[in-house]
Amino acid sequence: MWLLAVLARLQPAAESQAEDESSLRRLASGDQAAAARLYDRHARPLYSLILRILGNETEAEDVLQEVFAQAFCQASRYDARRGAVAAWLLTIARSRAIDRLRARRTRVEARTGEQTLGEMPDAQPDAASTMLDEERSRLVRQALGELPMLQRMAIELAYYEGLSHSEIAERLEQPLGTVKTRIRLGLLKLRDVLTEGLA
Amino acid sequence: MTAHEELKANAAGYVLGSLDPEERRAFESHLSGCAECAEEVASLRPVVGALATAVPQVTPRAELRARVLAGAASGQAQSRRSAWETRVGGWLPLAAAIIIAVGAGVYAVRLQRQIGELQARFDQAQATTAVLAAPDLARIDLQGQQVAPDARARALWSRSRGLVFTAANLPPAPAGKAYQVWVVTAQAPISAGLLTPDPSGAGTQFYMTPADIAPPVAVAVTLEPAGGVPAPTGERFLVGMP
Repeated sequence: MWLLAVLARLQPAAESQAEDESSLRRLASGDQAAAARLYDRHARPLYSLILRILGNETEAEDVLQEVFAQAFCQASRYDARRGAVAAWLLTIARSRAIDRLRARRTRVEARTGEQTLGEMPDAQPDAASTMLDEERSRLVRQALGELPMLQRMAIELAYYEGLSHSEIAERLEQPLGTVKTRIRLGLLKLRDVLTEGLA
Repeated sequence: MTAHEELKANAAGYVLGSLDPEERRAFESHLSGCAECAEEVASLRPVVGALATAVPQVTPRAELRARVLAGAASGQAQSRRSAWETRVGGWLPLAAAIIIAVGAGVYAVRLQRQIGELQARFDQAQATTAVLAAPDLARIDLQGQQVAPDARARALWSRSRGLVFTAANLPPAPAGKAYQVWVVTAQAPISAGLLTPDPSGAGTQFYMTPADIAPPVAVAVTLEPAGGVPAPTGERFLVGMP
């Protein structure tokens, strides 16, 4: 029955979204208090994602700052029809963090796949973390963990490492077609697991 | 495998952002016309979104909040200012104050001079107008002499209101020399005053003449030592008779 809980938690509550939209509108008209409210509501999940991708606290802090700067700057361009504010912010965060990661790769020797295939970074969840974030995160990770190992690895390499299909094929020493299929099957299965309860 | 199936295999990679640029362009153009692929993409978006939250949750350091919000405030303000303003912003107000202070002083002096000049020009213009409107106006045209055959001039004279003298095509006066205008009466030539033409050789000047002056028999311009002389000594440049 945890699936129902996942579904309930995956979508931000309607009032949260309404408050976020209102904050963005006020921000676009220069209200600095709205910026603080957006930070307080979203900094933690955004920082967590960025830290997961970069694995370095200093860099993660820099990128979090960039993400909010971009979001504050583009507040007037946010379009609610394309998704919740939380998802919009997470997309910016992921994109910025992957950009940083790719820039780092061009400087340093490419990280080996083994590090990626290991467990997630050893970040200790904060004691003051909200139960909501914690629970949502745990449930999605649980769903991800139910995927076949190679599907899960391919998805993680693509999403958290920003690798292209061909790069993943190289890392996993597998044909490109096989990687594409694994990623697709993995995401479809994840989708089914996460939405099963609705049917 | 059909082209559609081949492209559909890229739907997941498209949502994940893991397609190579060329693959992505090909899929995007296919996507706009393929409902099946569009549906799969739409259904996978929330799944990929969920991946964003499937990480250990960590609270950022408290100091970061102030940094982000300060950056946001200055970033918003900065986007409204040009880079130039930002660069010189520190000393700009002081520099502006100095420039304004110095400028105001210079301006005051210049303004005073301009007012003086304008007043003189106004007085002269008013006098000229008065001469032109005088009931006893006499007109005397002057011809260039041998030294300045192209020079021309006209004298408008009213016993009661004075003399307006306008010259053209006068050669530049040599250093230490000046043009002097004479009203020649039957008794003697009387100096009206000096004439300083502009670089083109033209000049207009108003002179008061003595009210008891005898009727002029001629008007002449001679080149004299700078500052003028009581009686003509130099070469005649312009001569005219009523």
